[in-house]
Amino acid sequence: MSDPSALSINAGSPEPIYRQLMEQLRRRVASGALVAGQEVPSVRELALALAINPMTVSKAYSLLEAEGLLERRRGLAMVVAAKHQQARSQTERMALLRPALQQAAEAARQLEVEPRDALALFKTILHEEP
Amino acid sequence: MNTLSLPQSQSAGLSLANSGAPATSVEVRGLTLSYAGRPVLDQLDWQLLPGQVVGLLGRNGVGKTTLLESLLGLRDATGGEVRLFGSPIALMDDAMRARIGFVPQQSQLFDWLTPRQLLAYFRSFYPKWNAAKAEALMARWEIPQDQQIAKLSGGQQQRLSIVRALAPEPDLLVLDEPVSSLDPVGRRDFLRELVEQVLDRGTTVVFSTHILSDLERVAFNVAFMAGGRITVQAPLSDLMDGCRRITGPASRVDAHVRASQLTVLSRRALDGGEVAVLAAGEHEARPDGLGSDALSLEDLFAELTL
Repeated sequence: MSDPSALSINAGSPEPIYRQLMEQLRRRVASGALVAGQEVPSVRELALALAINPMTVSKAYSLLEAEGLLERRRGLAMVVAAKHQQARSQTERMALLRPALQQAAEAARQLEVEPRDALALFKTILHEEP
Repeated sequence: MNTLSLPQSQSAGLSLANSGAPATSVEVRGLTLSYAGRPVLDQLDWQLLPGQVVGLLGRNGVGKTTLLESLLGLRDATGGEVRLFGSPIALMDDAMRARIGFVPQQSQLFDWLTPRQLLAYFRSFYPKWNAAKAEALMARWEIPQDQQIAKLSGGQQQRLSIVRALAPEPDLLVLDEPVSSLDPVGRRDFLRELVEQVLDRGTTVVFSTHILSDLERVAFNVAFMAGGRITVQAPLSDLMDGCRRITGPASRVDAHVRASQLTVLSRRALDGGEVAVLAAGEHEARPDGLGSDALSLEDLFAELTL
């Protein structure tokens, strides 16, 4: 991807923008859509594309570098770290999906929606066009 | 001012220019101002560092415009001091004025001129006036160059006011509700322009707006104004990471806040002896029997501008 349009943000949520960016990059690496050595958009490109503060992008990239997802290559370009050669295992990807589903499960319980109905809804949503 | 030290306070990668030299773009100390006996600014302290983009938040009528205009020497304070780039604004000269761009809430353009005449007029005052940039923005934002300004739409006048503020390549940009007349596409384009200024020139920006989604995008730091003061200023992501709204019976909420050594930023009473407390610190995921919610910028605004 050096295409910044692959990333998006949602202002107005309780999740800070830098964490939204981190989560999306983690998912793209986990799925194998981004693999070792591939460049991510520069701070400048991404800040301009999303109309966000460049410090926010830097913060997300620095934290992803610290957790070993990205590496800084000569000069400024950030690339996916060497150890991410291929998509992660099904188990690991499921682990990344879990927090989002936990939140959905909590919402379903609060709304007293039956598990059967909640699952049916999730199935429908999975098949919708994004 | 409540200077917060919040968990996960990561300093982001961009380093600021000049390590030693003049530390602040804006330094406000003890600024006090009243209208007809009503205090608007009350011993207000505030600092903006070079390259910071700070969103100024507060309810209607709290004095944001008064504060922003005071920074530029457009209001006479009864006490306190404002320094820009290290010099008191009482000594404002052309050189200092040339470093400041201002987009006022109501555009104060000479509306009998055409945009072309207006820009030619201002150009003469600014040594660093970037004519190419002004031309490019005028074209991109489709502002008619030769029509009387009075006959332009509100949105076009606001865009022209932005062009006028950006063209001198200012070191400090003061924006008071700069996009209230623009549609979402126009606003996004303006935000991009602002991001580009910050990237290319390290411009210090202070930005007041009620459009919180815009502010969340471009303001790395936010400052909340209430009761004539800046009550909280911090990186927005630190506030969102470090603050939660704890709700429940007053005594239990207070006990929890003490036990977890949280810093209380605001507190309001709810019905039935319950309270809602905005607290910063290391939070447990689910404190027993109490509500604990992460906060959006809108939630923070509601809690911190009372």
